[in-house]
Amino acid sequence: MKRRNVLAGLAIAAAGLATGAAWKFRLFGKHYPRTPYDDLLGQITDREPAILFGRAAAKSLPDTASLAADLRRDGRTLAIRAAAEPVAGRVREVDGWLVPQSVAQYAALAALATPPAAP
Amino acid sequence: MSAFQDARTLPRDTVLTPDLAIVGGGPAGIALALAMAQAGRSILLLESGAESFEAPTQKLYEGGESGVPYIALDGGRLRFLGGSTNHWGGWCRPLDEIDFERRDTLPHSGWPFARSEIEPYFARAQALVEAGPWIYDESGTTVSEKGPVLQLGTGGVYTTWFQFSKTLGGVLPTHFGERYREDLKRAPGLSPLLNANVTGIRLSRDGGHVDRLDIATLSGNRLTVKPRCTVLAAGAIENARLLLASNDVMKAGVGNGNDLVGRFFADHPIPRNVATLVVFDGKLAPIYSNSQTVAEGAVMRAALSPRQEFLRVQGLAGSLTTVENPVKLDAFGTATVVTTAQALGVEASSARAFSLGCGMEMAPDPERRITLGAERDALGMPVSNLHMTVSDDDFAHFRQTLAELGRQLLAAKAGMIHLTYRQRHEWMAGMDWGNHHLGTTRMSADPKRGVVDADSKVHGIANLYIAGSSVFPTYGSSNPTLNLVALTLRLADRLKKVLA
Repeated sequence: MKRRNVLAGLAIAAAGLATGAAWKFRLFGKHYPRTPYDDLLGQITDREPAILFGRAAAKSLPDTASLAADLRRDGRTLAIRAAAEPVAGRVREVDGWLVPQSVAQYAALAALATPPAAP
Repeated sequence: MSAFQDARTLPRDTVLTPDLAIVGGGPAGIALALAMAQAGRSILLLESGAESFEAPTQKLYEGGESGVPYIALDGGRLRFLGGSTNHWGGWCRPLDEIDFERRDTLPHSGWPFARSEIEPYFARAQALVEAGPWIYDESGTTVSEKGPVLQLGTGGVYTTWFQFSKTLGGVLPTHFGERYREDLKRAPGLSPLLNANVTGIRLSRDGGHVDRLDIATLSGNRLTVKPRCTVLAAGAIENARLLLASNDVMKAGVGNGNDLVGRFFADHPIPRNVATLVVFDGKLAPIYSNSQTVAEGAVMRAALSPRQEFLRVQGLAGSLTTVENPVKLDAFGTATVVTTAQALGVEASSARAFSLGCGMEMAPDPERRITLGAERDALGMPVSNLHMTVSDDDFAHFRQTLAELGRQLLAAKAGMIHLTYRQRHEWMAGMDWGNHHLGTTRMSADPKRGVVDADSKVHGIANLYIAGSSVFPTYGSSNPTLNLVALTLRLADRLKKVLA
């Protein structure tokens, strides 16, 4: 085996380990305080904009626990619900924006479950 | 090039005796004059104005207003040869079948006939307004060359098409007076008379027919016209004003035995920035936001319209929504789009946003009306007073259509919308108007419900007809010019038989 092949292999292995560690220990992702609703909130790809939108959506939705209970009771993922709801006519208006009902619910949960940032 | 005859230069008290007198040289009057001139009859086309704008003549349009804010009565129309085609935008689209239907959910709606009655006249009307080949919603692949049609899920809104009037050399749009000036001069039996203001319709003693028309000029000349038949084609405000002011025999005004003349006035409200359309992939064909010339030479633009079945089921009035300008979303809007697109599994990093505008159909309202004011114009005619209304239902209907559009965009994973207005004062703050004057001499087979019958003849008067959009009993959301020209060509066929 040539030395350059060995070095290339080691480099690939090191990159793989680094990627795995980053994923395992969430070295580069945004961190949020753990909540009782992380099984639901984990379905939101980017939580910052969801929280911003969710603050408005939460005004017309139930409290955090009830909201989470409703979402768990439904059982379907956010992706499946968001795609199906407009077809079935289940959209919600939030400050003039029309969104699938579940998008409003998940975003509201994100906003309600996330403590406001320290000033 | 000969000049038109000028009423100011005729000997005072001249009496003219044409077979047909047409009052008004706008699109209806000119279309009717040209059509009738081919019938071998003597036609007198009476135009208040000259060949171009003159302020003293335009001032005759001044009037009073009450109710919701509206454009000044001398501001939305033009009083010279060609009428308001001298400032129209050239937007053309035929009325839909539903626009002619009586709908239980829309009080006072319905024409005395179906759209099929005027369909045979659309081709000639299309030629007169010079809107190119008839394509509209039969566009098929023609307009798809200009970019993909916006993807919408199954539902109540679809992409429909405007066509635009154009003149030779690509000048938009056709100004009837300028475009047909030479045709009017050349047509056998046709005598256009400029600066000729009709100030009275004088009935026979029994009120059964028109005996004569009083003509006045701003220079002080006076003439009389004694026609076999008369057609009012002076626009919805002036037609009503002239009928109401001619009250020497019928005290309530000519044709106003059932207190309908002047009522049911309408226009198309055009509220600006009614919504924001977001297209997730950022790709919106330019034909949505600007008119484009398509393969057959027609100039077209896409709009978003409620389907007729949606209107029937939901009990809504019509509307035509257009894409206006690119806009930038605020932080909240961006967050909403990102969150929604991610939930739908759609890439939206290239998303673009556009403001939407619209033309709305109003529900017929008898209290939205033209009456006579106490003041008089330079010719001694009482001025018009307009009481303008817009109902909350008019806005609610349109908002419901926009919400359906938003739902369909989400269903297709193509985009989403933001509805700008909820409260009445918000709609009114962004309000513009189409200057499409409609409805003051509405058509109905029943004299208790309409001023003119299905042939556009004034109920109870043997030889008085009305042309133009003042006879529209239900308005639709399409721009009226193409449709009123088609309806006028239908009237011409009726009159050819009457005058035969």
